[in-house]
Amino acid sequence: MVTVELDDIRKTYGDETAVEALDLTVADGEILGVVGPSGCGKTTTLRTIAGFETPTAGRVRFADEDVTHVSPERRNVGLVFQSYALFDNMSVLANVAFGPKMQGVEKAERRDRAVELLELLDIAELADRAPETLSGGQQQRVGLARALAIEPNILLLDEPMTGLDAKLKDRLRREIGSLLDELGVTALYVTHDQEEAMAMCDRIAVLNDGRLEQVGTPREIYESPANEFVAGFVGSANLLDAQLDDGTVDLGFTRLHAVTDDTSGDATVVVRPDDIAVGSGSIPVTIREYQYLGETTSAVGELPDGQQLRLRLNGTAEETTVGTTVSVAIDPDGVAVVDTA
Amino acid sequence: MTTLRTPQSLGKAAITLVTGLVLAVLVVPIAVTFVSSFAQSATGVVPTGFVTAEHWRTALGLTDVGARRGIGSGLWFSVLLATGGMFVNLVVGVPIAYALTRYEFRGREWLNTLAVLPLVPGIILGIAFLRTYPDNAGTAFGLVVGYALLKSPYMVLTVQSAFQSMDLRRLEESARSLGASWPRTFVTVIVPNARGGILAGSIITWTLAAAEFNFTYMVYTRGPRPFSLFLYENISRAPFLQSAAAISIYFCLVVAAILVLQTVGRHGFTTT
Repeated sequence: MVTVELDDIRKTYGDETAVEALDLTVADGEILGVVGPSGCGKTTTLRTIAGFETPTAGRVRFADEDVTHVSPERRNVGLVFQSYALFDNMSVLANVAFGPKMQGVEKAERRDRAVELLELLDIAELADRAPETLSGGQQQRVGLARALAIEPNILLLDEPMTGLDAKLKDRLRREIGSLLDELGVTALYVTHDQEEAMAMCDRIAVLNDGRLEQVGTPREIYESPANEFVAGFVGSANLLDAQLDDGTVDLGFTRLHAVTDDTSGDATVVVRPDDIAVGSGSIPVTIREYQYLGETTSAVGELPDGQQLRLRLNGTAEETTVGTTVSVAIDPDGVAVVDTA
Repeated sequence: MTTLRTPQSLGKAAITLVTGLVLAVLVVPIAVTFVSSFAQSATGVVPTGFVTAEHWRTALGLTDVGARRGIGSGLWFSVLLATGGMFVNLVVGVPIAYALTRYEFRGREWLNTLAVLPLVPGIILGIAFLRTYPDNAGTAFGLVVGYALLKSPYMVLTVQSAFQSMDLRRLEESARSLGASWPRTFVTVIVPNARGGILAGSIITWTLAAAEFNFTYMVYTRGPRPFSLFLYENISRAPFLQSAAAISIYFCLVVAAILVLQTVGRHGFTTT
């Protein structure tokens, strides 16, 4: 496994710019998530590392070695697709042994390696089956074993769980996450599902419209989003207009004393639903919509000034109906300034 | 409820009946031909004098009489020509079908049209060959090229539809990321995954070429007499039963060819 570095990458197709001024480093042994809406350039980023796209400008480096113009079959990268893309003309075992075979590994040894990986992924009993007879989850395990069999410089996962149902996704996420950690694999994990990225990745890069908006740990991205886009894309967020004045945040309907830096003027702040305590404060909010989700109830309320506020109605004794007015408090520590005018 | 049949079961019965009729129309002449090829005489409605292999022997050129007009060498000549045409189509048609499915490129529409264009009647291609290559059109080489061209659309279209049902790009990218060069990817992953379509294309191009008449008749000048010409001449000159034997031999050959190709398709491509 190596450190993979993208240095000032630009990729254009005719007049269309897919990726612009992208600097990104995947550290040795790290799982870096790449998230963003469709068309944001995340798949282009993955394909550039794999070698299927040559950047219009910029460099790709594997452990300080420039591989920008090295062909895909010489890069030694593992690819896992949403659609599995297994070779239906071969058994599961032959699929996994395919990479080592191309690398010239001897027959007995590549067989051992394939069996070992199938055991690691808990599908040893499927070795002689045809891929098309397997379930989606099993196929994805085979896909992962096949990609790991070449001991890749970097493992590239392109929406690997998107086709699977929620329960299976949850299980695979945990299993694969700990497996990758255990093996110390360097990985780039592309997904449109920010929750999946939060669960599986050491760091997350948020892309929008071909540009990198922010890169950081899941906690940094969630708690200190760099801008409105990141705040809105990762988790649910309330973006509120505010007046900053020497350590206080004036939201109009309430004033909070907590912001450490001493900027002043108009600003946009992020308040997460988790930082809004329902039933304990003095801000009146009228419930306009709510969804009972079992573990939580997600609601949209209206503030006195007409702005909307997303909140959660956990553990409130009050009966929730549309039109109920609840009083809430905002935790000043949860307020993050994302944009100052 | 009433005992009346529902429209659905009526439809089922109708389809069964139509299918049965069509099958009968197709199969009866073949069966009659096959059976009567073993009869001594077919002057009446029902052939008489079973069972004789005389006509088969004559048709295969195994008797002194048949040596003149028997198809012995001609039959094998046609088999070789059809096989040659099929191989040309495999080598040229499969990559063309791949390129048409996998890539967007300038001139793609033109190539698509060109690949399907030889769907012209054999007689027209025959005239074109005679005018363009007057010296070579009637040789074995000319016939192989002609058969390949004439039947290429069947190969390209069949293989193309097999490719369209595969996730070509991702299959190819998986194999290449695992260290396979492009040619190796094509041979070990792409082609084996499309073997159903390639097999169907091979069977169609082979059987159609083995009995191609129009083109052969137009360009044929010398060398062993291809099968279709032998049949034609025997239908006009020789007794019916000898043609019946020749047709039966052809059917046996087609069945054999299909079995061979299917066996190759099932076992011949697998890699470990």
